[in-house]
Amino acid sequence: MPTCFGMDDKDSTRWAVMMAAAQDGDGATYGRLLAELVPVVRRMAAKRWRPANGLEDVVQDALLSLHQVRHTYDPTRPFLPWLAAIVDHRAMDAARRHYRRDAREVLVEQVPETFLPVDTNTQRDDAEALHRAVANLPANQRQAVELLKLRELSLVEASAVSGQSVSALKVAMHRALKGLKGLMEP
Amino acid sequence: MNTDELIVQLAGDVRPVRRLPAPGRRMLTWLAVALPVVALVIMLNGLRPDLVLRLNQPRFVIELLAALATGLTAGWAAFASTVPGAGGNRLALPLLPASVWLAALGEGCWREWLAFGDHLGHHAWHPQCMPEIAATSVIPIIALVVMARRGAALNPSVTAALAALAAASLSAAGMALYHPIDASVAVLIWQFGTVALLSALAGVMGRRLFA
Repeated sequence: MPTCFGMDDKDSTRWAVMMAAAQDGDGATYGRLLAELVPVVRRMAAKRWRPANGLEDVVQDALLSLHQVRHTYDPTRPFLPWLAAIVDHRAMDAARRHYRRDAREVLVEQVPETFLPVDTNTQRDDAEALHRAVANLPANQRQAVELLKLRELSLVEASAVSGQSVSALKVAMHRALKGLKGLMEP
Repeated sequence: MNTDELIVQLAGDVRPVRRLPAPGRRMLTWLAVALPVVALVIMLNGLRPDLVLRLNQPRFVIELLAALATGLTAGWAAFASTVPGAGGNRLALPLLPASVWLAALGEGCWREWLAFGDHLGHHAWHPQCMPEIAATSVIPIIALVVMARRGAALNPSVTAALAALAAASLSAAGMALYHPIDASVAVLIWQFGTVALLSALAGVMGRRLFA
């Protein structure tokens, strides 16, 4: 009998068992579970996410949230309502951020490597000026720079450490670079 | 990074986790902290001298039990709100005993209005109840918030408001056993009102409490 998300009850039961195995540390089962959930999560997120772009970011944020709160799933209870609550929350969160701010932003996939128009900035004075400029950034942008550029974490790792979503980190990094360019230019 | 790469990273990073206990069990653990605090406050103040007389009055008993039930259901609901998909409409459960509590107080106020008319205000001034309930609630609220943070507070304002409602209602129920206020209008304003105020304030601070 199909559930309200078009999936079979058997799928829901199977995912519940796979999730329980993942909670016990079974990485292979967890990977298979996440792969099977992607189209379901995408369908759930699409109900809340209206903009033309960015759905995949919402899906990734939802998977990250699922990963962070996997300990809250009770294997004796249905799996889909638990999943749906997480996806719903993430999608609504992303939609709120988008309509508040992102509608005027242009996200870039490839973050520029240099802060200044000149080729070299290895002089001690430049390093100190850069350090001061980073310290003057807003907290979330400073954190994005520290995690992504100084500690060279991946977006996923930085998201897990900071609690910011992947898309929020991208936006913060983009704005930090714009801000630093403005602060560093003579 | 595409979604497939993310899945590989997440699956490679998975470690065994300690499952969150059911909301009912977490609530019982919380009560093991909260109830001794309330009991200690009652002990320090001493039971009200007219307690036996009051326990024979149906409205007093109803108010006391309703305050207690509000605290217990709000505690359960606070923990349930940290399990995605678990709460739903059941998060509104505390509204039932809170409504009974409010109705009982309202009935008492009505009777007092009929008895005292414009002089009712003389019986309503008991502002010391507010800091007492707030002070008694501090440790239970902190304990509940600390325990609830182990879950996933997807709606932090609701979780925080329920946590404060739970702690403050238990405190108010305890106060009824030692604070000899007779006027329902005073209980309504200074006890029920304090519970409502603390819940609202906690709701406003929810995002910071569960950041």
